[in-house]
Amino acid sequence: MNKTLSVLNNHPHIWRAREQKQSEAKYSLGFPRLDEALNGGVASTGLVRVASLTGVGELSLFKDVICHHRTHKLVVFINPPGHLQSPWLENLGLKAEQVLVVKTQVQQESLWAAEQCLKSTACHCVLLWSNTINQKEARRLQVAATHNDALCLLYTPLQQSLSSSSKQRNNLQGSSQAHSSDALPITLDLCLQGNPHSLSVNIRKQRHGWPKDNIVILHKWTPDNNAIKWAMAHNTLSDQALHSVS
Amino acid sequence: MLWAYIYCYQLTLDSHNYAAKHKAVHYPESSIDTANTSSWLTSSAPIAVYCSKVNKIIQCNDVAKKEGIDIGHGLAQAAALCPYIHILPFNAESERQILTQLAHRLYPLASDIVLDSHAYSGGLAVRLDNLVHYYGGHAPLWKTLTQALSESDVRYHFGCAWTIEAAKVLALRKHDSYLHALDDIKKALNTCPLSLTALAPNVIESLARVGVTRVQQLLAMPVQELGRRFDNNTIVYLTALRGETFPRVTLFRPLERFDNFLLLPFDVENIQHLTPFVTQQFEHLAYYLRARNLYTSSVSVHIHFREASPINIAIHSALPQSSVKSWLPLFTLKIENLVLPEPATAVELKCQEFEAVDTHNGDFFSDRFNDVAQKQLIGRLNAKLGDNSTFQPRAGNSHQFEYMTVNESSGSEYTYCSDTAPTFTFDSPKPLTQPTQICFGPVRLHSEWWRDRTNQRDYFIAQTPQSVRLLVFKDEKKQWWVHGLFC
Repeated sequence: MNKTLSVLNNHPHIWRAREQKQSEAKYSLGFPRLDEALNGGVASTGLVRVASLTGVGELSLFKDVICHHRTHKLVVFINPPGHLQSPWLENLGLKAEQVLVVKTQVQQESLWAAEQCLKSTACHCVLLWSNTINQKEARRLQVAATHNDALCLLYTPLQQSLSSSSKQRNNLQGSSQAHSSDALPITLDLCLQGNPHSLSVNIRKQRHGWPKDNIVILHKWTPDNNAIKWAMAHNTLSDQALHSVS
Repeated sequence: MLWAYIYCYQLTLDSHNYAAKHKAVHYPESSIDTANTSSWLTSSAPIAVYCSKVNKIIQCNDVAKKEGIDIGHGLAQAAALCPYIHILPFNAESERQILTQLAHRLYPLASDIVLDSHAYSGGLAVRLDNLVHYYGGHAPLWKTLTQALSESDVRYHFGCAWTIEAAKVLALRKHDSYLHALDDIKKALNTCPLSLTALAPNVIESLARVGVTRVQQLLAMPVQELGRRFDNNTIVYLTALRGETFPRVTLFRPLERFDNFLLLPFDVENIQHLTPFVTQQFEHLAYYLRARNLYTSSVSVHIHFREASPINIAIHSALPQSSVKSWLPLFTLKIENLVLPEPATAVELKCQEFEAVDTHNGDFFSDRFNDVAQKQLIGRLNAKLGDNSTFQPRAGNSHQFEYMTVNESSGSEYTYCSDTAPTFTFDSPKPLTQPTQICFGPVRLHSEWWRDRTNQRDYFIAQTPQSVRLLVFKDEKKQWWVHGLFC
């Protein structure tokens, strides 16, 4: 018994909290506080789940990861929630020939397509929109991504994560269920919540690191009227000048 | 065995179209001044390929067909039907070159290719049965091959059967469907007339005398019977057609060195105007080198003329390199002071010496097979999910958010870029139902006058309490709509 345990203990995939530094390729997100919490950024391979509402800047958050690495390979959008606009891609910094959009009818097809893309070795990053994913499917994608040096970003709605946190609370309260269906064998699990002037990121699970809640970052992903507001606020003087001229 | 025969019936015309289109895309400003003087650039001009040996038109485009010109007409007849027709001379050698280039293009995707060029048209035979395993099925394999063919802009008919001979009959029949079940192939072959087979004319005639005009009747006859009456070549061909024997063929092998010959679509007087065609050849070179993990430090460009002896421009670079970006500036510097003695008719790019890339450079290795992998991936996805399931968004020629992005390259030279474009737009705008706060705007957009419905919209970027940024607009009736999302 003791011997078998020590064998298990030698397994390279077992991570101990005292091993802080892992020599793993990471892609920086460009937000110092977030990068620090993630020990350097997003891992260069594997499956990353991002739970958020659609439209809180969840794609632009990964701008540096998507655009600045492995630029000769494809970025595939599978089952996006609308028509992807080419001027937006251009502003982000992606070339049109680097982008492929895949439209699917059912959930199983999009998972299949994601796995094929990851296995093809032609893709840098696969962005997949999917409502639910179970442990087995997540494991398949995770293995496909890590073995083929690719990254998979999985976008899921926010409700799922809320229900799971309540489930976890239930678990704490006594029912010793082994796993909630929500704990997935993946590299990184994020949850994004938008506030009026900032974006708060919850790291619900990360490999080789601790979860951390409520990392607030300033994230700007749309043009705004600040230039006009600033001009209006500083307008009083020129207004007087105009009067004095007449 | 399963072979596909790809019958390219208008190679000269296709390569002319391709070169003209390529030039127009890369150098729009130069095409404008030449387009005024010669109308060949526009695809609306009637073009025909004429073979002086037999005094016949052997290829012609759709516009020429509309004018009444057909394959088999003489030159005088064609000129009488359409006085402004553009005639290209037929050259069997250059047609063979184009076919070889096509084989080079397919070679990374399929190993066994047989070049089959005969008097006035050419074809490629590709062995499929040994590839099916690697592509994971018939459909992804065929999708991948047809995609590569469509990129080369060659028009073709094809047929699939157990031997090259049988596949060729189906291709000449313009069968154009992928078959792999033996019964289906047999059914398709049975209806073909004997005139499509490669039997000698006197054999066909003597068979017709006894009432045999279809392949079905011929295949039904026992070989021993036919053997008594016809010579050995005919019998060998017949057994191949049945799929009983497989005649020896020479498989295509790419050359050790790079040699790309391009017949210009028109005579070029100014050497600067050669640049687009040479760019095209450098692209071929870059692709060739990439696939073989090689660099080169010297290339030579040969310019051919009608009468004068060809000019040879040797270009050396200090550093071994492969990309178009690095070779093209060297070429333009070289030709700056050159003057052509007479109009050029063809350019040829040769490269003899290669250097291997040092293996320490891991980055080079990592994207070596990327191009092939991408094609295979798209072929596979389309095979399972349907042809319209994948596309690449391209910039469209419109300032309205609905029409800014198109799925296929429209070839229009004018595209809009916009800071305010959202990540995603909806199929149709939805009414705005939640409270929002405006953070950018307004931007007023009118629809173009040629659209059916004219409208005027004031666009804003608005933020909901959950911090979701929406593209909203107010229409002329002061109603608010959500049109897109910023992710």
